[in-house]
Amino acid sequence: MRIPCPYCGSRDASEFSYSGDATLTRPAPDSTDAMFDYVYLRDNPVGVHQEHWYHTAGCHAWVKVTRNVSTHEVIDAVLAHDEAES
Amino acid sequence: MLDLALISAFAELRSMGDGRGVIARERRGIAIATVMARKGRGAALAAAVKEQFDINLPLGPHGSGSDATSFLGTGPGRWLVTHDAGRPRFVDSLAQQLDGLASVVDQSDSVGLLRLSGPALLDVLAKGVAVDLSATAFPAGSVAVTQIAHMGVTLWKVDETATIHIAAARSMAGSFLHWLEASAAVTGLVVDA
Repeated sequence: MRIPCPYCGSRDASEFSYSGDATLTRPAPDSTDAMFDYVYLRDNPVGVHQEHWYHTAGCHAWVKVTRNVSTHEVIDAVLAHDEAES
Repeated sequence: MLDLALISAFAELRSMGDGRGVIARERRGIAIATVMARKGRGAALAAAVKEQFDINLPLGPHGSGSDATSFLGTGPGRWLVTHDAGRPRFVDSLAQQLDGLASVVDQSDSVGLLRLSGPALLDVLAKGVAVDLSATAFPAGSVAVTQIAHMGVTLWKVDETATIHIAAARSMAGSFLHWLEASAAVTGLVVDA
């Protein structure tokens, strides 16, 4: 599988570290139950999903990838940093 | 009294095999630094680099400048700067010139630099680099931060002939040379003195 890094271009997935579901929002730290769910309870979605990948062996940017987890088709990839600022 | 000797990162570079498929030379005595823009100071940093060095700071994976002083884009808001014009304490003065705009870290002794050329260069690099280095996909001036045999490298194309400069961590120099010698032996690896 290749991931189109917005900075570097198309790169092999082995250059990236997978960092999970990009649709979640970190809960307030005082909410123990919500934090437990956020850290430990994972959904197992089918089809199009959004994930964070870190370009460990490349530009060291966090990339938000929209990917079909059933077919491995990568639909979109944006810098998480840019999206957070917009 | 302990005697300290200055030994360059790729001092063990040796010719290998028959032929002149790959021609290698270590770039020695280069001042190297990483530059990372401070938050929200990207535009001011670009203006300072333009004013101080007359270099357009690249916003993508490209290099600007010349072998004398170059800024290589290695990530969003990050650059590798090389200086080959012998200005003493270049990295110290760079840090002062960019004070408040960027974090400057001296990498001169932690990174080894090789200049590679030769008719078989791209075929040999293809054994280790999972990036298309052909002229259409990777024209002169392009920069790639990637890995060769699990070793992190920054490589950039200087001209289309093709000449490629590679930066690798000094601590990986021995392993990197092992990969290069093994990969280039079939076409011949020549050290250009």
